[in-house]
Amino acid sequence: MDIGAILLQLLEGFLVTLGIFAFTLVFSIPLGLLVAKGRMAKNIIVSSIFRFYISILRGTPLMLQLLLVYFGPFYLFQIKTGDIHLGPFDYRFIATIIGFSLNYAAYFAEIFRGGIQSMSKGQYEAAQVLGFTKSQTYFRIILPQVIKTVLPSVSNEVITLVKDTSLAQVLSVSEMFTEAKTLASANVSVIPYIAAGVFYYIMNGVIEMIMTRIEKSMSYYS
Amino acid sequence: MSDAILEMRNIKKSFGDLEVLKGIDLEVDRGEVVAIIGPSGGGKSTLLRCATTLEKIDSGKIVIAGDTLCDTPEERAVYADKKMLLEIRSKFGLVFQNFNLFPHFSVRRNITEALIHVHKKSREEADAICDELLAKMELSDKADYYPCNLSGGQQQRVSIARALAANPDIIFFDEPTSALDPELTKGVLSVIKALAQENMTMVIVTHEMSFARDVADRIVFMDGGVIVEEGPAYDLVTNPREERTKEFLAGY
Ligand SMILES: Nc1ncnc2c1ncn2[C@@H]1O[C@H](COP(=O)(O)OP(=O)(O)O)[C@@H](O)[C@H]1O
Ligand SMILES: [Mg+2]
Repeated sequence: MDIGAILLQLLEGFLVTLGIFAFTLVFSIPLGLLVAKGRMAKNIIVSSIFRFYISILRGTPLMLQLLLVYFGPFYLFQIKTGDIHLGPFDYRFIATIIGFSLNYAAYFAEIFRGGIQSMSKGQYEAAQVLGFTKSQTYFRIILPQVIKTVLPSVSNEVITLVKDTSLAQVLSVSEMFTEAKTLASANVSVIPYIAAGVFYYIMNGVIEMIMTRIEKSMSYYS
Repeated sequence: MSDAILEMRNIKKSFGDLEVLKGIDLEVDRGEVVAIIGPSGGGKSTLLRCATTLEKIDSGKIVIAGDTLCDTPEERAVYADKKMLLEIRSKFGLVFQNFNLFPHFSVRRNITEALIHVHKKSREEADAICDELLAKMELSDKADYYPCNLSGGQQQRVSIARALAANPDIIFFDEPTSALDPELTKGVLSVIKALAQENMTMVIVTHEMSFARDVADRIVFMDGGVIVEEGPAYDLVTNPREERTKEFLAGY
């Protein structure tokens, strides 16, 4: 196989990697916000449930969680996951997104919780006496400030996610790392690995640039 | 009908076992400036926080500009419904000791945000109100600044402008100059004095005794959760009747 063909196949894998990355962010960030809210609930039963959720998902390997999401439905409930399709996505891919989203939501939840709790009581009180409703206070006053405080930690997670996408190989999802492995052994060459490394590196470079830009755009106050 | 803007009757408030307000009666008439003085821990902030819905009283009655915030038909205070609470919140302003400006908003937006999104004014109307208030606060050139780029005194004047924006019937100040360096308190105090001259109804918790004497119509001395003594400002400062008041004033 020539280099062009190798790169082309890697590029296909790269698109799948991008897919995992993007879907995970889209689902795990709102979910993380919900989990953070649940974790901060006044009701001790609710907050304990979410605390347990967070500790399990952060305390066990993501790879194991992926395997559970993929095989669990069949082993536990005899659900034929092979028949499940959502548009172009088979259960292999769906399970990957579910596993990643549940896992990253737990990490994001702890980051968001820290951010929300760092807000001073005075901000809520000032908003209240000015007549803002609870949801106005949350979306206009609190959330924008929380976003700024959590952005550096979120950036870190996002960059970790880029590298973590390679864990999808346990479900034989044809993302870039899986492709690189196949290509390397088929061609008895390290070039696919090196090329994949370059792809990951560039992707992270771009993401870092974007995150830095967002952080800069919020540095107009301190 | 009396001309009272604020009516607080037999206000009782405890935090757990600690009784912080032990039956406070306070009435403030339209145009009146009342200063509340007293040693720290006496319940001054709690009283303001109860009047401004930040704390709930255990029993008593609060009426603001004719609207009943809460009353006690039986044992415990019953509050007005949500809609009424919002209505009542537009009738007063509160200035905090540590400003509590919104750091992510410019000065202009700090002042206009509630006008636009709570009071449903147009942006033009809100901007006009903002410009007028900033001129009054001598901050006309600071509209596009962020709070972090202002001095403490300027920040406090912005927060006064924010509290005034919705044209409230009464403004509460909780130690508005306590977080400021001495040289910055003057600007804030002179702004409050100017408001007094326009007959703004105000309740000011303060440790600035000469300011209270000169600007307030009436001074209320609070200690241990009760009003120990109250009277015309000048009389109370120069000729206190109660022993505790004398002791307290001797420290100034
Ligand atoms: N949220 C609270 N929880 C428990 N105790 C409080 C709370 N707020 C105030 N207190 C107590 O109530 C008393 C009166 O406090 P405060 O109203 O702040 O007095 P002042 O403003 O006159 O200094 C103090 O003993 C204070 O510790
Ligand atoms: Mg106080």
